[in-house]
Order: sequence, then C-alpha cells, then structure tokens
Amino acid sequence: MNWKNVLYLLRVERKSGRLIRGIKATRYKENSFLAYWPYWAAAIIGVLGGLFAEYLVSLVYSEGGTAGLQPLNVEAFAFFSVLPTLVLGVSIVFTLFQQIQLAGKASAQVMYWLPITWQEHTLASILANLLGLPAAIVVGLSSGLIVFSAFNGLILQALLTIFILFAAAFFASSITEILRVLQVRFTGAVYKSSGRAAIWLRLIGSLLVLIVFYIIYFYVVSGTNTFITNLTAAQNGAWYVPFVWPALIISYIVKGLFLQSLLFLTLSVLLIAGLYYLAVELNKRLGLYEPPAITLQKSGVYAPKNGILGKLGFSSVEAALIRKDLRAFTRRRELLGVYFMPIIIVIISIFYSFGITNGGASNFSIWSGVIFLVPASGMAMLLGQILIGEEGQAVWRIYASPISPKNLVKSKFFLIMIFAVIILAVTGFIGIIVFHPSLRKAGIAMIEAFFMALAVASVSLQVGFKGPDFSGTRRQRMVRQEWSLIGSVVGVITGAAVFAPVLVQYAFGLYSGISVSTLNYTIGVAISAAISTSISAVFYKINIGAAQDLLRKAQV
Amino acid sequence: MSLLSGYSQYAVELKDVTKRYNEIVAVNNLNLTLSTGEIFGLLGPNGSGKSTTLKMLMGLVTPDKGSVNVLGLDVLKQPVEVKSLVGYVPESANIYEFLTGIEYLDFIADVYGVPTSEKKQRITEYLKALQLEGREGDMINSYSDGMKKKISLISAFLHKPKLLILDEPLNALDPRSARIVKDFLHELKSQGVTTIMSTHVLEIAEAICDRIGIMYQGQLLALGNMDDLRKTARMPSSGLEDVFLKLTGTEDLRAVVEELMK
Repeated sequence: MNWKNVLYLLRVERKSGRLIRGIKATRYKENSFLAYWPYWAAAIIGVLGGLFAEYLVSLVYSEGGTAGLQPLNVEAFAFFSVLPTLVLGVSIVFTLFQQIQLAGKASAQVMYWLPITWQEHTLASILANLLGLPAAIVVGLSSGLIVFSAFNGLILQALLTIFILFAAAFFASSITEILRVLQVRFTGAVYKSSGRAAIWLRLIGSLLVLIVFYIIYFYVVSGTNTFITNLTAAQNGAWYVPFVWPALIISYIVKGLFLQSLLFLTLSVLLIAGLYYLAVELNKRLGLYEPPAITLQKSGVYAPKNGILGKLGFSSVEAALIRKDLRAFTRRRELLGVYFMPIIIVIISIFYSFGITNGGASNFSIWSGVIFLVPASGMAMLLGQILIGEEGQAVWRIYASPISPKNLVKSKFFLIMIFAVIILAVTGFIGIIVFHPSLRKAGIAMIEAFFMALAVASVSLQVGFKGPDFSGTRRQRMVRQEWSLIGSVVGVITGAAVFAPVLVQYAFGLYSGISVSTLNYTIGVAISAAISTSISAVFYKINIGAAQDLLRKAQV
Repeated sequence: MSLLSGYSQYAVELKDVTKRYNEIVAVNNLNLTLSTGEIFGLLGPNGSGKSTTLKMLMGLVTPDKGSVNVLGLDVLKQPVEVKSLVGYVPESANIYEFLTGIEYLDFIADVYGVPTSEKKQRITEYLKALQLEGREGDMINSYSDGMKKKISLISAFLHKPKLLILDEPLNALDPRSARIVKDFLHELKSQGVTTIMSTHVLEIAEAICDRIGIMYQGQLLALGNMDDLRKTARMPSSGLEDVFLKLTGTEDLRAVVEELMK
C-alpha cells in the first residue's frame, strides 16, 4: 500500500466534494479555514453542547434529585456507549444520500491509466466518505465528550469512546463504498440500457433505507420512557447484529465485563477489515464497469409531436424547454433529491396516524395540517431554487439559443407549478385517507396550499436566477449555498404570509370563543389568494428582469 | 420590419474588440470583417483567442471594448435575433445527456421554431447523412465523442442559419462524416451561408477556407487567402503548416525535439 497515493487520491476526492465554483471563475484559490468549516462548526457546537450537558448534570446531581440515577460516571459512560450505534446509523444514511447526489456525475476513472492499486483506491474512497458528514459528527461529539469529561474526570472513557466513534464512522463508510460499487455495476447497467429504470431503482432503494431507519428510530425513541436505557438495552439484546458491535465494546466496559468487551473489539476489527477486503474485491471485479458502446437499435420511426403544451398557449420554445425539464426530472439522478421532502412528510404523517409514536393529539393535528400545506410549497421552493442552476455546463445551449427572458421565466415557472400541483394532489389525497378531515377543511387546506405554492414558486425562482451554480464539479449543487439559505428563509416567510389570513381568522375564532369548525373562511382564503397573486405578479416581472440579466451577462 | 433590414455588406464585423480575463488579454484590439457566403478559417495556437472570438460573435462572452455585429445586428443589443440566425457548435459538446439524440434535436428544432411539417424530414436527412440512424433513440450519455459532435453539428444546421460559427467542428469526426461536413459547408456557401470556423487541422483550413486568419496572443497576425499568407510570411512556395509555424514563432521545432531527447 502506497500511503502517498491514498493521500493524493483522498485530497482530490475531498476537494471535488467541497468545490463550488462558478463557470466564470478562471482561477480558484481555496480558503483553508472556510474549506473545513463543517468541522469547525461541529467542534464549536460540540464544545457548547458539552458545557450545556455539564451544566444540566451539575444541576441534577447537586440538588439531590438523583433518585433512581446511578453515579454520574456510570450514567455518563452508559450514555457514551450508545453513541457509536447512532454515529453508524446517521453516517450510513447521510453518506448514502451523498452517493445519490454524486451518482449523477461521471467520475474520473483514474484507475484506467494511473499506477494505483485497488487497495489504495478503495481506502481513499472510504476515507473520502468518512471525511464528509460522518467526520463532522464525530468531531462534534468528540468535542462535547472531551469538554464534559474534563469536568467529570472521565477523560480516559471519553478518549476510548472517540476512538470507537471513528471506527464506527469507518465501518459506515465501508458499507457505503460497498453499496456504491454495487450501484455502479448494476444500476449502471440498467441505466444505460433502459434510461430511467435505474433512477427509480435507486430512489426506491434509498427510500427503503430511509423507512427502515425511521421505523427503528420511532420504535426506539417512542416505545419507552428513557431513550438511553432503551437504546442500550436494544443494542445489548441485538448483539448478533454487527452494527452494534462497536457500541458493545463500551457497553461491556461499563458493566466491568472486559472479556466480552475484548471479544467485541476483536469482532469489530475483523468486521471492519472484512468489509474493507470485500470493498476492494468488489471494486476489482465491478468498479470499472463500462457498458457496451454499441447497443441494439430500438428506435422506431421519428414522429414529431405538437403536444398539449402548444394548445395551452405556450410557444414552441417554451414547450420545448418544459418538455426538456420534465425529462430531466425523471432521468437525472442528481435531481431525485427533490422528491424526498414530500415523501418523508408523507411517511412521518402516516407513522403518526398509525400511532407508532406517542406524540399525542397535538402532533396528530400538526401533521394533519403539514401533509396538506407543506409538500407543494416545499417542492415549489426547492424547484424554484434549482431550476436555473440545473442547466449545468449545458447552459450555453440556453445562452446560444434564441430564447427570450419571457420564454425562460414562463417555462420554468410553469414546470414548478406542474410539480407543485401534482404533489398537492397526491399528498392531499393521502392526507384525506389518513387523517379523515371534513371535505370543507380539506378543501380550504388544498386551496391555501395552492396559493402558498404559487407565491413561493415565484419568489424561489428569483433566488434561482440570483444564485445559480452551473459548476461541473462532481457534486452539482445547482444553487449557491448562501442563496439556498436565503431562499429557504424567504420561502418560509412567503408561505407564512400567504397562510396568515386563515391562521389569524382561526386564532381569532379560538380567542373569541367561536367554534372554529363553523367559521366562514371565505374572507381569509380570499385575502390569501390576493396576497399570493400579488406576490406572483410582482415577482413575474422581477423574474423577467433577472432572466434578462442572466442572458445578457451570459459568459461561457 | 425584416430582421435583416439593417443588413450590412458584411456578415460579421468586429471593430476594435478587446477581451480580458483579469490580467490576461484574450483578444486584443481585433478588427475583422467577413463577407456574406465566405468560409473563414481562424487558426492559432492554444490560448490564442480563437474560441473567445467565436464566443463573442455568439454573445456568450461580452467584449470589454469594441463592437460586434453579426448579419447587420448588434450582438449585445439584439441577442435573441442574432441567435435565431446563427448556428453554433462549441468546442466541447456539453449537451443535455439525459435526452436521447432525437429528443435533443426535437428540442433544438422547437427552440429555433422549425415548422413541425419540416422537422421530421430535416432531422431524418441529417441523421442519415452523418450515420446516426439507429442510434437516435439512445441517450446521449451513451454516445461517443464523435457522435456527440455529430449531434452538435446537426443542431447547428437544423434551422438553416445564415451564419455558422463552428469551434473545432471536425474534431472527433470519422473521415466520412468530416468529408460530408466539408462538402456541406461548400453547398451552404453557394446558398449564401457564411461560415467562420476555428481549427487546428491546417489541411482542412487550406482546403475549404476562402480566407484564413492566424491569431496569436489575442491578435490577428495575418489575414487573407493562401497567397496573402505566403507573402506575409515571405514563404512564396510553402504550405500552410510552414507559414503558420513561422508566423506564430514556433518554426524551430527541431531544437525543441532535440532538447526533449536529451
């Protein structure tokens, strides 16, 4: 193993992950402080968390309210013992998400021509996974542990936990690498042969992972009174599941069972080594899968279509842009992320409705509102922000074509609303099935959701025009991070502003003792509609100006 | 009012055009005019300013100084009108890889307003001519570089432009397709279509271009037909390669090779 090669590869992988570069840039210099901001931020949050934990613990233990609690060092170390399992779970989920995003971009197959072994390549890839969010989580937790332990004389225990946290993160990253290789081979083959099948395969696979983790999460969190006790018990009971082995090392030390601890330490080391070996072997066999360059002819006779969009009053340019983007959202893997938010809301709502959690009536009521009101405008916000930047390096095609600002705004805005309305219809239908609201309530919620989406789409599209990221780096972000943040804040405020009249009327009804179910919301809905259409009309003009600016300043 | 109402005698007119990227001067005070129906070749070493010049003609790069007129229209003031009259092939074919070849061409035809009744015939003819028949239903991400280039070329020809701006148009093409494109450019010339192309293949430039401009460090070193270039280089019986190497100061290649062999 040439460790220098691993280091060089790792640097490239990590930098490509961090790099956010506009196509205007001719030179790039990375600020070494800002480049590692997730670690700094995690460390600061960790230190603050550690101080807060110390404050809470000192309050509990100094006021004599320790009935039922064991000595601090035992309680604290028991808490430490659940952290590896948490880190492992969270790391797998997040690195998998990251892989989904990266999968849309072609990777540089340096293995073809550079003197690098599969062992070096695999190790660099695993470490690159690890040095993303998993490392930030470990850094955050470690900082908190060190601070807390320094006050309570638990430094040795903290150091041991930190070591195991890194091992758990490596464990998770190895699993992600294995899944990545399998995806490259199998979904790659499906993708090349049948286009979108692989994308949906990937989406469904990722959702299954998500659902499994949610079920575990809700089961563990809500099924018992004490989270720590429950997770500790759960991982002790599930000793045969390799995912909990790193945590069991600490868990058995807490109990003074050093032989068992040593056993699970050995098992963890063997498992991690085995996973690494498996990843290397899979990379050797499948890592460089290239689909055949020649495929069998499957095309029929070309038949140009006029399409329904023309009949709806769109020009041929606008209709072409809408069709192109519709295809992008069913074929481009990196765009699949937009479907996650509504799906997650639906999953959580269904879980609440099934009584999986102990959230109580208030949570039920909140989620019954959320499933109607949030997904459509959330989708509008996400799409509005990315629809310009998603053009990516092919944006020259827009710049070089006779596309007017009005064409661009109309087509993009219409596309956002198509998706928002579809999502509204689907989530509204599920909401009606799951929460059984009255027809009146459901109708009001859906009308409100439509107007919220309309306004949010207009505002978010402006964000998309202001902060597009066309960079062709491995991870296509489509909107610059600062604009994404601004867009999210402005989007939420816009949605709230549209919904406010109905909310105020509802609150007024509650305050004045009128039965809210008999309130006439016509006025509230009418004001919402007026606010929404006004925002849309104003932002339509602003968006055309922004599009004009974008096309005028087009620099390739 | 016709789009070409302000049509000047020149298809392309660059006046005192300068473009800088920070301290690098990509194009330096360039003056160039192209007549209607002319095939013009832009030659020069890497980084000499060819692609920047072509991009400025398309409005993809804004000049810091000077004016750019295409088909009598100011590129900066009437960008949409200019683009609708021009066919452009960029150096690297970054095209929508998630579309199939046919979907991409359909998109282009719609964007340029090619009548539905003509779309099918034109697309089919071009696909057949460039031997892409049978692959048009595959996603572009499965195409080779040559196939992507063919799709880019077809998308530039599809709307019957008045001016073709082609950046390395024959790169990656197989000999048959390259020959078809060259012959096709000649046919278009007879119909009054102007072409400006950059290339590194000097034989192609010598064979098909009416005039050639040699750029070096953002400036036009020489301009004219082959005889003019030979005169400029004072090499009356030389080919374009020797003329090019002399004008761009890279003629002493033997010394470079000998240095490498040490």
